[in-house]
Amino acid sequence: MLGLLAAPAAAAAGAWRPRAAAPAGTLFAALAFAAALAASLAARGEGVVLPWAPSLGASFAVKMDGLAALYSLLATGIGLVVLVYSAGYLPLHLEHQGRPASEGVGFYFFVLLFMGSMVGLAMAQDLILIFLFWDLTAIASYYLIGYDRHREESRASAMMSLLVTGITAVLLLVGALLLYASHGTFSVPELAGRVEPGALLASAGLLVLLAAFAKSAQAPFHFWLPRAMAAPTPVSAYLHSAAMVAAGVLLVGRLYPILAQSEALLAVMSAVGLLSMGLGGVLALTRDTLKQLLAYSTVAQYGYVVFMYGLGGRYGAAGAAFYVIAHALAKSALFLSAGAVTEATGEDRLSRLGGLWSKMPLLAASSGLAAAGLAALPLTIGFFKDEFFFAAALERGALFGGLAVLSASVTLAYTWRFWSGIFLGRPAAEPGRVAGKLVWPVVLLGALVLFGGLLPGPFAALAGAAAASSLGEPAGAVQVAYHLDARPENLLALAAYALGAAIVVSRPAWEPAARLFARAGEAAGPERAYRVGLRLLNLLSDRGHELEVRDLRGRIAGILLPAGVLVGLGLLATPTVGVFRFGEVGADDLPLLIALAAAAGAALATCLTVRHLTLALVISSAGFSVALVYGFLGAPDVALVAVLVETILTLLLLATMRLIPPGVLRRGARISARQARLKAAVAVVAGMFALAVSWSTFSQPAIQRGAYERLIALTPEAHGKDVVTVTLADFRGLDTLGEITVVALALLGVATLLARGRLP
Amino acid sequence: MRPEELRGDMTRFVSRALLLPSLVTAAAILVKGYAQPGDGFSAGVVASLGVLLQYMAFGEEEASRLLPLPPAGLLCFGGLLLALALAAFPLLFGQPPLTHYPPPGEEPVHLGTLELITAVAFDTGIFLLVFGFSVGVMRLISGAREEGEG
Repeated sequence: MLGLLAAPAAAAAGAWRPRAAAPAGTLFAALAFAAALAASLAARGEGVVLPWAPSLGASFAVKMDGLAALYSLLATGIGLVVLVYSAGYLPLHLEHQGRPASEGVGFYFFVLLFMGSMVGLAMAQDLILIFLFWDLTAIASYYLIGYDRHREESRASAMMSLLVTGITAVLLLVGALLLYASHGTFSVPELAGRVEPGALLASAGLLVLLAAFAKSAQAPFHFWLPRAMAAPTPVSAYLHSAAMVAAGVLLVGRLYPILAQSEALLAVMSAVGLLSMGLGGVLALTRDTLKQLLAYSTVAQYGYVVFMYGLGGRYGAAGAAFYVIAHALAKSALFLSAGAVTEATGEDRLSRLGGLWSKMPLLAASSGLAAAGLAALPLTIGFFKDEFFFAAALERGALFGGLAVLSASVTLAYTWRFWSGIFLGRPAAEPGRVAGKLVWPVVLLGALVLFGGLLPGPFAALAGAAAASSLGEPAGAVQVAYHLDARPENLLALAAYALGAAIVVSRPAWEPAARLFARAGEAAGPERAYRVGLRLLNLLSDRGHELEVRDLRGRIAGILLPAGVLVGLGLLATPTVGVFRFGEVGADDLPLLIALAAAAGAALATCLTVRHLTLALVISSAGFSVALVYGFLGAPDVALVAVLVETILTLLLLATMRLIPPGVLRRGARISARQARLKAAVAVVAGMFALAVSWSTFSQPAIQRGAYERLIALTPEAHGKDVVTVTLADFRGLDTLGEITVVALALLGVATLLARGRLP
Repeated sequence: MRPEELRGDMTRFVSRALLLPSLVTAAAILVKGYAQPGDGFSAGVVASLGVLLQYMAFGEEEASRLLPLPPAGLLCFGGLLLALALAAFPLLFGQPPLTHYPPPGEEPVHLGTLELITAVAFDTGIFLLVFGFSVGVMRLISGAREEGEG
C-alpha cells in the first residue's frame, strides 16, 4: 500500500522543489521495501477482501502470500536501487539533452507508480483487480519508455509497447470474463477449486497466456522489448528485472493453479518458452548495442521461466520463481553497468568498447559477478537457477535435458560476449569520471548475486513460498546446496560450460548464419507484421474519418446506409407469412386518422420545401401532429413531452439558422436535378423499409410488450401515475443521469463555439 | 418585420402577463409530475419558454433587468450536480445508486396534496438543467448574433 502512496508523494515533493523529488521518492521506496519485507516475514496467509462492485462480482482482494512477497520484494528492492542510481543518472541525462531539471519529477512519479502497481499486481487475488494493475503498469511504462519525448524513436517505441501489451491485456480481460461466466467468480483461489480441464479452460487460459507472453516479451511478441530500450537506462533495468516484463511471468505464477489443470496449456507454455529461449539467445549473439544484447537476453531468460512453468513437476514452479530472483538481480546489475559505461565513455556499442577492466576495476568486478550469475557459474546465485532448470528438464526426459544444456550454453556465450566486449581486449574508448551513484548500485547487486551463491537459503525459502502459492499446496522445502558429485545436474552444468566455451571460440563459424537469421526476422518477422498492421489500421481510420467528417450528408449516409442494409438483410432473412396484418378500424378512430394524415402531409411537405426556415416549420408541424396522435391514443404524458420537445427544438433550430449567413443557406438549399432524383430514390427505399419494419412490429405486438407492461404495472409502486416521469427518474434513472450530463456538456460546447467558452 | 417592430406595447404587455402563469405552470408540472402528466423536463421547457418570451419582447438587456436570473451556466451545472448528488446519496447507505425514498409500498409524507419523495428532488435537478440549458443556449445565440452584426 505504501508503494501506491509513494508516487503522489514524490510528485508533491517535486512540485514543491524539483530537487526534492528524488530523495522523497527514494525514501518512500525504502519505506515500501521495508514494509514489503516486514509483511512477507510477518503475516502469511492473511488477506484483505473489500468488495467494491459486488453486483459485478469484482472485489479488491489482496493477499501477501509467497508469490506476492517475492515480486513485491523484487519490485520495491530493485526499485530502490534503481531510484538511487537514477538520482545520479537522470540529472546527467537531462543535461545531455538540454532539458530543465524539473522534468525529472514526472520520471520519479512514474517509476514509483510503476512500483506501486507492480506491488498491487503481485498481491492481487482477483482477476479484475489484476487487470487494473496490469494496465497501470502498461501506462507507467508507456510514459517511461517515451521519456525522451523529443525523439521520434522513443515515442514510436512507447506506442509499440503500449499497443502490444495493451491489446493483449484485453485478451486477459476476455479470458477473465470467460472464466467468470462459467464459474461465477473472479477470485483466483476460488477459480482454482472450480475449473476443470476442457475446451473452456483451454481457450480462457490461452487468452490469459497470450497476455502474459506479450508482457513478458515472449515470441512472437518479443519485438517490443528491444525497441523499448529507447528508455533511459534505469528504466530499462527496472522494466526487465522487476517490473513490466516480470509481470507476465507473475501472472503465469499467480494463475498457475488454474492453468496447470490443462495439459494443452502447459504444452503451449513449454513451446513458447523454448522458442523464445532459442530466438532470444541467437539474436543476443548478433547484437552490437549493449542494451539490445541485454534485451534479447531478457527475452531468452523469461523464455526459461515460462518453459519451466510449462514443464511443471516438482521443480517447475519453484525453479521458475527462483530463476526470476536470480535473473532480476543479475540483469538489473548488467543494465546499470551498461548505463554507467555509456555515461562514462559516450559509446553504447560493443565494437567501440573494450579494455575498461583497468580503468574501472570496481565496476568490472561487480558487473562480472552479475554476468557470472546470469551465466550460472558456481559460487553465484545463478548456479542454482540452472540447477533447478536442469532438474526440471531432466524430469521430463533426455530430450528436454539436451535442449536445456543448449540454451544454457548460449546464455553463457552471450553473457561472456557482453562482459568481455566491454572490459577485456584492446582499450577502445577513454572513460571519463563516473559518479559513485552509478557504480555503487551495481556493486550492491553484484554482491547480492555472490551472496546468493554462497548462502542461497533465504532466496530459496522465498522461491519455495512463491511456488507454494503457485501450486496451491506446500511444495516441500526447496533444497539448494552444492553437491560435489557426479549427479546429472552437475554433469549437465559442466556440459553447458563446455558447449558455451565452444560457441565463444567458434564465433567465426556460426556468425554469418546468426546474422542471416536476424536479418530474416527483420524482413518477415512479427515486428514487420505489427508495422504493416498498424499502417493498414491507420489507413482504414483515415478513410473512415474522411468519409465521416467531409460533410454532414456523408456522415448521415454513413450511419443510415449500414443500418438500412442490416435491417433489409434482417427482413429478407425473417419469414414474412402472417407478419403483416391490418387491425380493426372503427368510427372512433377518426380523430386519430386525421392526426395521422396531418403528420403524413407535413412529412410530404418537407420534401417539397426549399427554404430552410419553412423547412424547420414544416418539420416541427409534423412533430406536433405526431404529438396529437399520442394525445388521441390516450397517452397524455407522452403527448405533453412531445409538444414541449417540438417547441424547444423548433426554437433552437430557428435561432441557429439566424446565425448562418442567408447566402450560405440559399446556396445550401440548391441541389441539381440528378441529386434530387437520387435523394428521392433513397428516401423512397428508406421509407419502404421503415414501413415494413414498423408494420411488422405493430402486427405482432406481443413479443416486446412484456417489458413495457411491466414498467407500467410498476409505476404506482413508485408513487407515480405518469409513466414517462417515473421511467425517467426511477426505472431508468441512471440513463437519465447520463443523458442530462450530455445536455450539460452540449451547453459547454455551444459556449465554446459561440462565446469562447464563457458560460452565459 | 424587424424584431424591433415586433416589440410593440401589445407584445410587451402579453409577454409580461404570460410570465407568471408560465412559471406557475412549470412549478405545478414539476411538483405534480409524479401524479399527473409532467416532469422536470417539461417544467424546464415551459419555464424557459416563459423567460424567452421576455427576451423576445424586451430585448436581452431590458429583460435581464426586469427579471434578474442567476447565470444559466450555474443553473445548468447546479442542476446536474443536484441530480448526481441525489443519485450518489444512497451509496452512502450501501444501496444501489438512485434508490428513491420512501421505498415502494410505504406511504410518502403528504404536504396538502403534494407527495414528498426524493424522485421529485431528482426531477428538480433535471428542471434546473433543462431550464439553464434552454435559456443559456438562446442567450449565447443572441449574443453571437449581436457580435456578428455589431
